[in-house]
Amino acid sequence: MEKGQKRTDAEKKFSLWLVSAALIHAFVIFLAIYLQILDANRIVKPKIVSVSIVSLPGSGGSSELSQKGGMEAASAPSTEVSHPAGSSKSVTVKEVPPVTPKKEPKPVKVKEHVPEAAPVPPKKVAVEPLPVKAKPKAVDKPADISKALERLKQTVDKKTASTPPTSASSLNNAFARLQQKVKSEGGPASTGSGSGKGSSSGGRSGAGKGYGGEGQSAPYQAEIASIIMQNWEFSKLLLKNSYGMEVYVRINILANGTINKIVFDKKAPSEYLNNSVKKALEKSSPLPALPKQEGTGDVWIGFVFTPEGIEK
Amino acid sequence: MVDSYLGIFGLLSDAGPVVLFVLSVLLSFSIVSWAIIAYKFTYVRKSLSESRAFLDFFFEIYNVDKAFVESEKYRKGSLPRVFRSGYVEYHAFSDKVDIRQLRVRIARAVKREANAESKRLSSLVPFLATVGNTAPFIGLFGTVWGIMTSFHNIGKAQSASLAAVAPGISEALIATAAGLAAAIPAVMAYNYFTHQIGIIERDLDEFSPEFVAAFINEP
Repeated sequence: MEKGQKRTDAEKKFSLWLVSAALIHAFVIFLAIYLQILDANRIVKPKIVSVSIVSLPGSGGSSELSQKGGMEAASAPSTEVSHPAGSSKSVTVKEVPPVTPKKEPKPVKVKEHVPEAAPVPPKKVAVEPLPVKAKPKAVDKPADISKALERLKQTVDKKTASTPPTSASSLNNAFARLQQKVKSEGGPASTGSGSGKGSSSGGRSGAGKGYGGEGQSAPYQAEIASIIMQNWEFSKLLLKNSYGMEVYVRINILANGTINKIVFDKKAPSEYLNNSVKKALEKSSPLPALPKQEGTGDVWIGFVFTPEGIEK
Repeated sequence: MVDSYLGIFGLLSDAGPVVLFVLSVLLSFSIVSWAIIAYKFTYVRKSLSESRAFLDFFFEIYNVDKAFVESEKYRKGSLPRVFRSGYVEYHAFSDKVDIRQLRVRIARAVKREANAESKRLSSLVPFLATVGNTAPFIGLFGTVWGIMTSFHNIGKAQSASLAAVAPGISEALIATAAGLAAAIPAVMAYNYFTHQIGIIERDLDEFSPEFVAAFINEP
């Protein structure tokens, strides 16, 4: 009887320990899950800011002065030349990382200020050193502009024949604006020389090159995006945290399709993602040759890589 | 998205039934072994401390009646229990049989109680040894099975990239980790308990004749 009582006491005690052990296990598991979630929600701040992201080719004018003086006042001719080469499509500009398209329209606006700035001598003090070097280029300019205008006319004619009337009217408007700009450029010699210098030295978009995918047709970009996607070896399961995992990258493609430069405009906190993007781009080179209508120059095309894929 | 938040635990949502079964077995092993560890730890510790206290009192007084009264305070100690069983036998037959027979009877009762105490002390402990020995292998089985399934899926997907291989292997390795997590404390506890129980059993073997002698020499 006593032994039976002892046994039941021992069993009760053991079952009590069993229940408490189960509870402790459940608590430990939930704690581990909670810590995982807590760790995943923690925002990882990059400790090192890579300078290579900032010092991009074409963005040499880092100071505000040079951007305002040299670039804004002078980038007008460069846009004029690049438009014909890139067939003046603004659709591709939207596909470029958000940094670049905002900067594209700037020169156009500033250009309207140039004639205003010309008659006021004190405002041009900062720009004065530039015209000395740019004078020879200004001599060739009218010829370039006329050639560019001819090409523009041809492309606009082609487009108007194929595209609906709405796009044709917008193209005509753009063309008319361009003509006005060219006329205003052709007037004073000093302004012409100033702008020529700007385009060659500090301009973001090089002359004759469609910057930020400018002038690229959407099918070509879709094609290279799919090629890059195929070569992209990446698993989002290996990322601890997908917060802020975006890589803004733009590539310079030569006429034969070779990727000339890879520029990271914004890197993700995960080096795994950054490296996978870089490897995918390197692996994808050479890409298909540029379409003939894009001319013989090189182009810049931008992509946004996220753990879900390439965003266009 | 949820998987990435849950990390390793998120991988379990994609695990196969065999791996999940292995993990549940290991989890139940771990729960039971921890319950045994906690139960035995308190039991053995109390038995050891009460035995020591009773022995100190016994050798100080060397009077069986007083020792028996004192032993009532140490109900969970192994040596007081053995002593009480001898004392009960001594009281029952001290007037009925001669001293030789009484010695034999008391010795038998003490030995029986020592054996019972030894069994009581070592009960459930072999389960710890079983968990310590088998849990890593069970975990390994889960891992092997998970990797097999993973490679099968890789073959189906026709891709050998890191993205295709890594999650499956990572998921499979959880089983080995769980096996080790169950086995390590079980092995450590088993070694500790066998050592402590060995000490108590040695005490029982050593002091049982002392108790018998104390009862016989009492008058």
